[in-house]
Amino acid sequence: MTLSVSNLCVERAGCTLLHPTSLTIQPRERIGLVGESGSGKSTLGHALVDALRGQNVRVAHVPQSPDEALDPLRSMSYHWREAERALQCTPDRQRQQQLFRALQIHQGNLRKRPWGWSRGMQQRFVIAMALIGSPQLLVLDEPTSALDPVVAARTMNLLDSVLEQNQTSMFLITHDMGLAAKRVTRLLVMDAGRIAEDAPCSSLLQAPVTPAAKALTRHRTWPAPC
Amino acid sequence: MASAVLRIEDVSVKRGRLFTLEHISLSLTAGRTLAVVGESGAGKSTLIAAVLGLVRPASGTISWNNAPVHHCRPALVMQEPRAGFNPALSIRQTVMEPVVASGKPISADILEQLCGQLELPVDLLNRRPGEISIGQAQRASIIRALIAAPPLILFDEPLSALDAVTQKQTAQLIAELQKAYGFAALIVTHDLGYAAAYGDEIAVLRAGRIEEVTSPREFVSAPGTNYGCQLRDAAIELGALEQTV
Repeated sequence: MTLSVSNLCVERAGCTLLHPTSLTIQPRERIGLVGESGSGKSTLGHALVDALRGQNVRVAHVPQSPDEALDPLRSMSYHWREAERALQCTPDRQRQQQLFRALQIHQGNLRKRPWGWSRGMQQRFVIAMALIGSPQLLVLDEPTSALDPVVAARTMNLLDSVLEQNQTSMFLITHDMGLAAKRVTRLLVMDAGRIAEDAPCSSLLQAPVTPAAKALTRHRTWPAPC
Repeated sequence: MASAVLRIEDVSVKRGRLFTLEHISLSLTAGRTLAVVGESGAGKSTLIAAVLGLVRPASGTISWNNAPVHHCRPALVMQEPRAGFNPALSIRQTVMEPVVASGKPISADILEQLCGQLELPVDLLNRRPGEISIGQAQRASIIRALIAAPPLILFDEPLSALDAVTQKQTAQLIAELQKAYGFAALIVTHDLGYAAAYGDEIAVLRAGRIEEVTSPREFVSAPGTNYGCQLRDAAIELGALEQTV
């Protein structure tokens, strides 16, 4: 089913953080949202999640910081049970272990509270929670920023295969153009609270039009070692 | 005269009964950059803390020019720049702290000169940390690191809090400042693209041990260990080394 939202707008303290924005997301589509810090990427992500949940669309959201998803006073097992209840899934210990092993957090102690886990493990736990059900859309806000490269690559590969199996669409928010170039087919460039450019990933990387997209593509990769 | 050199010789650090660093030996010459890469928990930040003297090695020595390393007053640029700033003090007060601590006078215009080089408006120095952007705070923390002209600067994930454009600009700036001031840079990062682009050498750290020390070109084309290959391949999959391979 095609997902669509129209005229999303966010204002805070008299400032417009997100100018009226409309979006259509095709089934299984991989969309990347890139832009500088403060351009409104996470704001659009939150507004999109809220609007789609209002339409009863199954949306899973992995926030940039696991602090946004985990209650410091509750154990990790409590969070897992809570997510299963919210998604109306029957407890499936085998699926849980499968996800934990794939994300390499199977040795984490579920009786501990979030602060008993490292930040990278917390992030992977939140990603695992997002994969409990079969969401129509997975919104990932800088999912690999707290992970080291080997774990980050493995996590992105796992996400790719799960999304493929479940026919889930992905909305990847990142400031890493290299990551976006590898993982998405359509790229949106955010600038000052507006979508400045929306194009297929390969053509946007080859021929960016707006100054924001040009700046991002110019700084896409590091220079070669000398 | 031979260049000054940082020597880390057979250093081990213990936390309780566990070794967080085991028999680490590295060296770094003035004007050069050593990038230390590895997974979370490998001991990268412990290495920084040991060089700064914040943790005492269980064995081994760390020296600068054959003297204890703290004699050269190494500076630190942190991952989260605002974490190193006192929120009650102005940026100017914070960046001048190393000068006050060293007790050595500096020329009156050095602060303005550094602000010019780092493209940080001088009037921002009168603001407090919460009133500037994270990119500006990272440039201010680099000014603080440079202000007392230390021969050795330690960078702990200096770019990870910045967006992609600011990351590349800041990396280029650090390289230009190193050419101008000649300091030795020990950079701890898990961004392999950055390590390969700006490191003169790359040291791969895993579970508290050095797996290999290699040139960036060799690291990108043919890492010497299985773990080095895993890191390189992961960086390619994440798009960090796409154009360099």
